[in-house]
Amino acid sequence: MFCSIKSPAQRRFVRVCWMSGGLVAVLAVAAAAAFRLWHLKGLLAYPVAVLPALPILWVLIETGRYLALEKDEFQRNLMVQCLLGGIGGTLAVTTVWGYMEDFARAPRLDLIWVYPIFWLFVGIAMPVVYRRYR
Amino acid sequence: MKNRLKVLRAERDWSQADLAERLEVSRQSVNAIETGKFDPSLPLAFKLARLFGLRIEEIFLDEEQLG
Repeated sequence: MFCSIKSPAQRRFVRVCWMSGGLVAVLAVAAAAAFRLWHLKGLLAYPVAVLPALPILWVLIETGRYLALEKDEFQRNLMVQCLLGGIGGTLAVTTVWGYMEDFARAPRLDLIWVYPIFWLFVGIAMPVVYRRYR
Repeated sequence: MKNRLKVLRAERDWSQADLAERLEVSRQSVNAIETGKFDPSLPLAFKLARLFGLRIEEIFLDEEQLG
Protein backbone atom coordinates (compact mmCIF):
# COMPACT_ATOMS: atom_id res chain seq x y z
CA MET A 1 0.00 0.00 0.00
CA PHE A 2 2.67 2.43 1.01
CA CYS A 3 5.13 1.49 -1.74
CA SER A 4 5.17 5.10 -2.89
CA ILE A 5 4.21 7.12 0.14
CA LYS A 6 2.73 10.43 -0.89
CA SER A 7 0.30 11.93 1.57
CA PRO A 8 1.26 13.45 4.93
CA ALA A 9 -1.22 11.05 6.59
CA GLN A 10 0.58 8.02 5.11
CA ARG A 11 3.99 9.37 6.12
CA ARG A 12 2.75 9.96 9.66
CA PHE A 13 1.22 6.48 9.90
CA VAL A 14 4.35 4.70 8.64
CA ARG A 15 6.50 6.73 11.06
CA VAL A 16 4.22 5.75 13.97
CA CYS A 17 4.38 2.06 12.97
CA TRP A 18 8.18 2.06 12.98
CA MET A 19 8.36 3.94 16.28
CA SER A 20 5.79 1.61 17.81
CA GLY A 21 7.69 -1.48 16.68
CA GLY A 22 10.84 -0.17 18.37
CA LEU A 23 8.95 0.76 21.51
CA VAL A 24 7.31 -2.67 21.77
CA ALA A 25 10.73 -4.33 21.62
CA VAL A 26 12.23 -1.98 24.24
CA LEU A 27 9.25 -2.21 26.60
CA ALA A 28 8.99 -6.00 26.23
CA VAL A 29 12.64 -6.38 27.19
CA ALA A 30 12.21 -3.89 30.07
CA ALA A 31 9.07 -5.64 31.35
CA ALA A 32 10.72 -9.06 31.15
CA ALA A 33 13.76 -7.71 33.02
CA ALA A 34 11.54 -6.14 35.69
CA PHE A 35 9.72 -9.42 36.28
CA ARG A 36 13.00 -11.34 36.37
CA LEU A 37 14.73 -8.93 38.74
CA TRP A 38 11.93 -8.01 41.11
CA HIS A 39 9.59 -11.00 40.78
CA LEU A 40 6.63 -8.63 40.48
CA LYS A 41 3.32 -9.90 41.80
CA GLY A 42 -0.14 -8.56 42.61
CA LEU A 43 -1.30 -5.12 41.57
CA LEU A 44 2.12 -3.91 40.45
CA ALA A 45 2.46 -6.80 38.00
CA TYR A 46 -0.49 -5.65 35.89
CA PRO A 47 0.73 -2.19 34.80
CA VAL A 48 4.24 -3.52 34.10
CA ALA A 49 2.82 -6.43 32.09
CA VAL A 50 0.68 -4.01 30.08
CA LEU A 51 3.62 -1.76 29.15
CA PRO A 52 4.60 -3.56 25.90
CA ALA A 53 0.97 -3.45 24.76
CA LEU A 54 0.76 0.35 24.97
CA PRO A 55 2.58 1.05 21.66
CA ILE A 56 0.30 -1.54 20.05
CA LEU A 57 -2.76 0.31 21.30
CA TRP A 58 -1.14 3.50 19.98
CA VAL A 59 -0.89 1.96 16.48
CA LEU A 60 -4.54 0.92 16.58
CA ILE A 61 -5.55 4.46 17.51
CA GLU A 62 -3.25 5.86 14.81
CA THR A 63 -4.81 3.50 12.25
CA GLY A 64 -8.16 5.11 12.97
CA ARG A 65 -6.56 8.53 12.84
CA TYR A 66 -4.96 7.71 9.48
CA LEU A 67 -8.38 6.87 8.07
CA ALA A 68 -9.70 10.16 9.42
CA LEU A 69 -6.76 12.26 8.17
CA GLU A 70 -6.23 10.67 4.75
CA LYS A 71 -7.72 13.08 2.22
CA ASP A 72 -7.24 10.74 -0.74
CA GLU A 73 -10.44 8.70 -0.66
CA PHE A 74 -9.05 6.01 -2.97
CA GLN A 75 -6.06 5.40 -0.69
CA ARG A 76 -8.43 5.38 2.29
CA ASN A 77 -10.57 2.81 0.50
CA LEU A 78 -7.52 0.61 -0.15
CA MET A 79 -6.53 0.78 3.50
CA VAL A 80 -10.05 -0.14 4.63
CA GLN A 81 -10.04 -3.16 2.32
CA CYS A 82 -6.64 -4.28 3.64
CA LEU A 83 -7.82 -3.85 7.25
CA LEU A 84 -10.92 -5.90 6.46
CA GLY A 85 -8.63 -8.57 5.05
CA GLY A 86 -6.69 -8.46 8.31
CA ILE A 87 -9.82 -8.70 10.44
CA GLY A 88 -11.26 -11.52 8.35
CA GLY A 89 -8.02 -13.50 8.32
CA THR A 90 -7.53 -13.07 12.06
CA LEU A 91 -11.10 -14.13 12.86
CA ALA A 92 -10.78 -17.13 10.57
CA VAL A 93 -7.45 -18.33 12.02
CA THR A 94 -8.37 -17.76 15.67
CA THR A 95 -11.81 -19.35 15.30
CA VAL A 96 -10.48 -22.41 13.50
CA TRP A 97 -7.60 -22.72 15.96
CA GLY A 98 -9.99 -22.33 18.89
CA TYR A 99 -12.01 -25.33 17.76
CA MET A 100 -8.82 -27.28 17.14
CA GLU A 101 -7.68 -26.51 20.69
CA ASP A 102 -11.05 -27.56 22.12
CA PHE A 103 -11.63 -30.76 20.19
CA ALA A 104 -8.29 -31.90 18.81
CA ARG A 105 -6.08 -30.77 21.70
CA ALA A 106 -4.03 -28.54 19.39
CA PRO A 107 -1.32 -26.47 21.11
CA ARG A 108 -2.65 -23.39 22.86
CA LEU A 109 -2.43 -20.19 20.80
CA ASP A 110 -1.49 -17.33 23.12
CA LEU A 111 -3.62 -14.21 22.70
CA ILE A 112 -0.44 -12.22 22.30
CA TRP A 113 -0.25 -13.59 18.72
CA VAL A 114 -3.57 -12.10 17.64
CA TYR A 115 -2.05 -8.69 16.88
CA PRO A 116 0.84 -9.99 14.71
CA ILE A 117 -1.60 -12.35 12.95
CA PHE A 118 -3.84 -9.36 12.18
CA TRP A 119 -1.02 -7.37 10.57
CA LEU A 120 0.21 -10.47 8.78
CA PHE A 121 -3.17 -10.74 7.07
CA VAL A 122 -3.21 -6.99 6.38
CA GLY A 123 0.15 -7.50 4.67
CA ILE A 124 -1.20 -10.45 2.68
CA ALA A 125 -4.26 -8.42 1.65
CA MET A 126 -2.20 -5.46 0.38
CA PRO A 127 -0.84 -6.96 -2.86
CA VAL A 128 -4.18 -8.65 -3.53
CA VAL A 129 -6.07 -5.36 -3.13
CA TYR A 130 -3.48 -3.41 -5.10
CA ARG A 131 -3.49 -5.87 -7.99
CA ARG A 132 -7.23 -5.34 -8.32
CA TYR A 133 -6.70 -1.64 -9.13
CA ARG A 134 -3.54 -1.93 -11.21
CA MET B 1 -18.31 3.71 -13.80
CA LYS B 2 -17.43 4.66 -17.37
CA ASN B 3 -16.15 8.17 -17.83
CA ARG B 4 -14.45 10.55 -20.25
CA LEU B 5 -11.54 11.42 -18.02
CA LYS B 6 -8.87 10.05 -20.33
CA VAL B 7 -10.20 12.05 -23.29
CA LEU B 8 -10.63 15.22 -21.24
CA ARG B 9 -7.15 14.82 -19.85
CA ALA B 10 -5.68 14.24 -23.32
CA GLU B 11 -7.45 17.36 -24.66
CA ARG B 12 -5.58 19.39 -22.07
CA ASP B 13 -2.36 17.45 -22.53
CA TRP B 14 -2.34 16.51 -18.85
CA SER B 15 -0.72 13.36 -17.55
CA GLN B 16 -2.38 11.34 -14.80
CA ALA B 17 0.16 12.85 -12.44
CA ASP B 18 -0.81 16.37 -13.55
CA LEU B 19 -4.47 15.68 -12.91
CA ALA B 20 -3.67 14.01 -9.59
CA GLU B 21 -1.74 17.08 -8.49
CA ARG B 22 -4.64 19.37 -9.42
CA LEU B 23 -7.08 17.15 -7.53
CA GLU B 24 -4.70 16.69 -4.58
CA VAL B 25 -4.94 12.90 -4.81
CA SER B 26 -2.48 10.18 -5.76
CA ARG B 27 -1.81 9.18 -9.36
CA GLN B 28 -3.15 5.71 -8.51
CA SER B 29 -6.46 7.35 -7.58
CA VAL B 30 -6.71 9.05 -10.97
CA ASN B 31 -5.84 5.79 -12.72
CA ALA B 32 -8.46 3.86 -10.72
CA ILE B 33 -11.17 6.43 -11.49
CA GLU B 34 -10.16 6.69 -15.14
CA THR B 35 -10.30 2.93 -15.67
CA GLY B 36 -13.69 2.76 -13.98
CA LYS B 37 -12.41 0.60 -11.14
CA PHE B 38 -13.16 3.18 -8.46
CA ASP B 39 -16.13 5.52 -8.32
CA PRO B 40 -15.28 8.87 -6.76
CA SER B 41 -17.38 10.43 -4.03
CA LEU B 42 -19.67 13.31 -4.93
CA PRO B 43 -17.26 15.95 -3.55
CA LEU B 44 -14.44 14.56 -5.71
CA ALA B 45 -16.74 14.28 -8.72
CA PHE B 46 -17.72 17.94 -8.26
CA LYS B 47 -14.06 18.86 -7.96
CA LEU B 48 -13.37 17.08 -11.25
CA ALA B 49 -16.32 18.83 -12.87
CA ARG B 50 -15.10 22.24 -11.68
CA LEU B 51 -11.60 21.47 -12.91
CA PHE B 52 -12.80 20.59 -16.42
CA GLY B 53 -15.55 23.24 -16.46
CA LEU B 54 -18.20 20.61 -17.13
CA ARG B 55 -21.16 19.06 -15.38
CA ILE B 56 -20.67 15.74 -13.59
CA GLU B 57 -22.87 13.89 -16.08
CA GLU B 58 -20.70 15.20 -18.91
CA ILE B 59 -17.73 13.40 -17.35
CA PHE B 60 -19.30 10.28 -15.86
CA LEU B 61 -21.62 8.19 -17.99
CA ASP B 62 -24.81 6.76 -16.56
CA GLU B 63 -24.48 3.17 -17.76
CA GLU B 64 -28.12 2.37 -16.97
CA GLN B 65 -29.29 5.24 -19.13
CA LEU B 66 -26.91 4.19 -21.90
CA GLY B 67 -28.40 0.71 -21.77
